[in-house]
Amino acid sequence: MTEHQPTAVISGIGSCLPPRVLSNEEVTRRGALDTTDAWIRTRTGIARRHQAEAGTSTADLAVAAGRAALRSGRAQADLVLLATTTPDRRCPGTAPEIAHRLGLGPVPAFDLAAVCSGFVYGLAVATGLLRSGLCARPLVIGAETYSTIIDPLDRDTAVIFGDGAGAVLLRSGDRDEPGAVQAFDLGSDGTGSDLIAIAAGGSRHPDTAGPVGRDTRYFRMRGREVYGQAVRRMTDSSLAVLRQLHWAPESIGAFIGHQANQRILNSVADRIGIAARHRFGNIREVGNTAAASIPLALAATVARQAVLPGTRSLFTAFGGGLTWGSVALHWPEAVPHTNAPETRMTASPAPRTHHKETRCKPSTTVS
Amino acid sequence: MQAVYDRLVAVLTDKFQVAASDIGPDISLSDLEFDSLAVVELYVTLQEDWNVELEEDDSAAEMTLKKFAESVELQLRAAPSPTGQGAGR
Repeated sequence: MTEHQPTAVISGIGSCLPPRVLSNEEVTRRGALDTTDAWIRTRTGIARRHQAEAGTSTADLAVAAGRAALRSGRAQADLVLLATTTPDRRCPGTAPEIAHRLGLGPVPAFDLAAVCSGFVYGLAVATGLLRSGLCARPLVIGAETYSTIIDPLDRDTAVIFGDGAGAVLLRSGDRDEPGAVQAFDLGSDGTGSDLIAIAAGGSRHPDTAGPVGRDTRYFRMRGREVYGQAVRRMTDSSLAVLRQLHWAPESIGAFIGHQANQRILNSVADRIGIAARHRFGNIREVGNTAAASIPLALAATVARQAVLPGTRSLFTAFGGGLTWGSVALHWPEAVPHTNAPETRMTASPAPRTHHKETRCKPSTTVS
Repeated sequence: MQAVYDRLVAVLTDKFQVAASDIGPDISLSDLEFDSLAVVELYVTLQEDWNVELEEDDSAAEMTLKKFAESVELQLRAAPSPTGQGAGR
């Protein structure tokens, strides 16, 4: 990007968290896990997480967060990009249904699979599409229902992940504006593709091949190896994007890392050289919500007006694939909105002309 | 070996805030209440210090610090072009 080219600007921010909150004690009790609230807090920084009710899908959260972002940005979107690990169905993508339920008409809509890096990847793709002229107001949503893929008996993952959705609406604007995206760094390393994975359900181990055990049916993560990779990749990616802009780490006034684990976040921020007062997040309240983690942390931080709009900011993420990505931007000035999940009346898609949906409550400003 | 051990002690006291009086060659990381993630963090730190890849030993937490330093020393010797203590960040 050059100084005079327009870029994407975050003009709307939305979020959706399912109302049900699971404490560490509940997670531990449910899975008969050999752990305690103190152990989980010390090891991960997580005190509670939200869980979607049975029958509430990723799209239900994404529609709510997307609608909140549209209201926040006071505009309609002309493209929908959903970053998720937990689509409603393996086929088709979930984004077209989201676009339909948002009343956006026949706009381009597609899913993006980069696990916990999905939102940063999505922001990069949407920025590129906007700059190419293919769209003017892309809606980027990170939404997850990890409760549908987590093994409640697996201590390594059951205590970490939560459900939720966050969204941003983009528009074209000037690089000097609050919310203006400045630069990206993206990367992947497929040699680590087994470190974070669900073994069954894809073409390598199709569901049609017969029953599978817990280890192949559920999401699995090799935590210790992931920790080392996450620290190195997010640190290096963050420094790379800062170098592109000649931004010194100490000039960053707001840092949001993927809310994987508080100790990883601390380790990364220490290595980049971000002072503790400039680190923001909400992992304690929501756990790791994968692709939704950065937009949820952004929405919560903007809502409490903790950062001055226009402040130099850095978001970085790492996830399965392995994938990682960082984005440097100016802190947005949009007023975030939040919605309760918008659960569909029917479990399976109804014909388009008879499609029904209910909204649990109207959009409200995050407090 | 002594240089590696001394660097290990320096990292434990400076970065991990372990009291120097608690550290000794026959003490394990587990004795110092290091959990598995803290052990990984220690490996990452040492790798940055020496700018080499270190294979993480599954039993590192239970090793004495003397054994741990020996294990790292062996890997440093085998590394293609270690840049010496203090290299990297």
